[in-house]
Amino acid sequence: MSSNSPQSNQKPDLDETINVTQAHGRVASETAATAREHRIADNGHEPISLWVIISCGLVLLIAGAVLGNAGPWFDYDALVKPKYVRGTPPGAPPEGPASKEALPAYIAKGQKIYSANCNGCHGADGRGGPTFPSLAGSGWVTGNTQKFSMVVLNGLKGPTSTGKDYGVMAAIGAGLKAEELAALMTFARNSFGNSTGDIVTIEMAQAAIDASKARETPGTSVTAEELTAKHNIMLPGAVLDPKTPVDPSKLTPVK
Amino acid sequence: MSTETANTNLQDAQLRAGIDRSLRHPVMFFLTSGAAWLAISMILGIISSAKMHAPGFMDGCSWLTYGRTQAAHLNTLIYGWGFQAAFGVIIWIMSRLSRQECKAAGIILTAGHVWNLGVSLGVLGILAGYGTGMPWMEFPSFAWPVLLISYLAIMIWSMVQFKVRPEGHVYISQWYLLAAMIWFPWVYLTANLLLHVFPGHPIMANGINAWFKSSLVFLFFTPVALSAAFYLTPKVTGRPIYSYSLARLGFWSLAIIMPWAGMQKLAGAPVPFFIPYLGAAATILFFIPAFTAVFNILRTASADMEIVNHSPSLRFTMVGVFGLLVMAVAAVFLNLPGSTLKLTQFSLSGYGFEILAIYAFFSFVMFGAIYFIVPRITRREWISRRLIKMHFYLSIYGIITVAIVAIFGGWMQGLGQEQFDQPWESAALRAYPYVWATTISWCFILMSNLFFFLHLTFMWLGLGRRSNHPTLLISAHGHSPHGDEGDIDNAGSISAH
Repeated sequence: MSSNSPQSNQKPDLDETINVTQAHGRVASETAATAREHRIADNGHEPISLWVIISCGLVLLIAGAVLGNAGPWFDYDALVKPKYVRGTPPGAPPEGPASKEALPAYIAKGQKIYSANCNGCHGADGRGGPTFPSLAGSGWVTGNTQKFSMVVLNGLKGPTSTGKDYGVMAAIGAGLKAEELAALMTFARNSFGNSTGDIVTIEMAQAAIDASKARETPGTSVTAEELTAKHNIMLPGAVLDPKTPVDPSKLTPVK
Repeated sequence: MSTETANTNLQDAQLRAGIDRSLRHPVMFFLTSGAAWLAISMILGIISSAKMHAPGFMDGCSWLTYGRTQAAHLNTLIYGWGFQAAFGVIIWIMSRLSRQECKAAGIILTAGHVWNLGVSLGVLGILAGYGTGMPWMEFPSFAWPVLLISYLAIMIWSMVQFKVRPEGHVYISQWYLLAAMIWFPWVYLTANLLLHVFPGHPIMANGINAWFKSSLVFLFFTPVALSAAFYLTPKVTGRPIYSYSLARLGFWSLAIIMPWAGMQKLAGAPVPFFIPYLGAAATILFFIPAFTAVFNILRTASADMEIVNHSPSLRFTMVGVFGLLVMAVAAVFLNLPGSTLKLTQFSLSGYGFEILAIYAFFSFVMFGAIYFIVPRITRREWISRRLIKMHFYLSIYGIITVAIVAIFGGWMQGLGQEQFDQPWESAALRAYPYVWATTISWCFILMSNLFFFLHLTFMWLGLGRRSNHPTLLISAHGHSPHGDEGDIDNAGSISAH
């Protein structure tokens, strides 16, 4: 190995007192690990073996199958079925919304219908105002149900139960389905301080709708005289115990 | 050999020695403190694993509840050990391959201390109950800017070195290093901004978190370890890498495929239907970059099995590369939607895969690199062949048990979870024996790493052997080209200092 050590710049004050052999020995020692290293040779250029490509191809096939199972990707309509209902796993107890006692279930559903249709005039607290009649404590609301239902379904012209005339109420409830009418009436009869404690069933509400169609002048507002003369009765139908468990959305009794 | 070649070799050796010298403080700091964090992580791992089969174990201490120790265990493993080992190896390999001495050792060392401070405060935050609850990002949210800034202060110098490298060929290891150096801040910044600064819908936050975990493994730890393996194998064996085109295929497939992986953890969640399938497919395709690299490295090394057996660096590296192969196969079989994915989604298997990636693959390659680097920068040889062997065998038996047991046990646990008409307890009971085995093997790994930490600390203190001959894993009774212990003549050793 050459003796002109480039390490001399590390020892600028090299003089006779330094044993050159020893100094060189130290250089050799300090670079021993680096000196015995191999240099990284040029990269090899072996061709890629067939079986490497085949193995990778197999995995590519598996991954492709996974992607294929991902369905139609961004096609929302194909992925989400209309009226999708989650399937029941085998052996699981039958699913469905938990049943609820009849009275709170009717009231909860009725409150939603009330908020959507009646709030504007009668107010969230049902007390009306200077130009709208109060439902709280109203004799017609808590009285005979057919009378009440005729007002909801057909609207009202002329004086109310208190005798005061508020003008005309439109036929707000004309399009309600039987269970909606039932829920709404049950709500009104058991809220705002009213507490009749009974339920206007779907059967009764259907009878009200039929009675409304059978009027002599269907489609016109009722008046206090007509109500007292023809509709001052309870709606016909079987009474429902307020504690019967019902389906909270359909309001039908469950077993 | 002509005089000219001898001179070039000597100059080369001196250049390399100069580079090593310039890096000795930051690299030794990263490696040693990393090894200390590794031991701490093992202790936390033992505690959290023990709690899964013995819930009463240390239940009086709120700092050591399962939710905190498990998070602290993984975060110290990743940010305490994984990143610091990576820092040490990256700055060293990049300097060597760019043939530049490090001119910013002081700044790197300072930033390294800041990183350690961030990790320490973060771990204390987790143990004190301020963890964020996002896997692998549990550090309280003050920690991530600290870590990101110190990361940049550490890594920017390697980028500069690469930029000002001498003309010529860019080696495979440099591709991987450069990519990892750029990918990590992208992944880390994206995940932290989207989760801490501009939080969106919680379901998507869960997905971003899963993507972060997967990207950290596939876009940081994997390329760093592959870079070290592609450096060490030809360096120690003296043979060229088997196939350059195969390496290119491996690199580009990693870069193109792996950013898509991760969101298969959302399978069954109300996200667009294709997202989990896309994540699963990308994770399955990890086989391609992994297998091509494994094949390339093993073919290069297998030409000389004697060197693989004798050199501690190469032996650890080869085990790590084999760990990558196992990981690649596991990536295929754990992510099949419709069969295995739902069994592994909420069970021990995910943990098993993470440990496989971080310990069996990444850490083993890092150990290999450390056994190569430390003698060069300390200019001393490893003290004891026996300590290295203890480290190797305890680690390898430990990690095989942890990975296999956690993946298989997680599968069994998943089967238990699928039986929804049974109480949850029965699924937990199925995992019971596997959790026991995990605790015991973490004890083995802890022991192995205490030996490693001790050995490394001795080297740091300058207590290594002064010798011209490396410490090889040769039986004392076998043949050695350098004699017993490879250190008969003690040549060159002087008492100069």
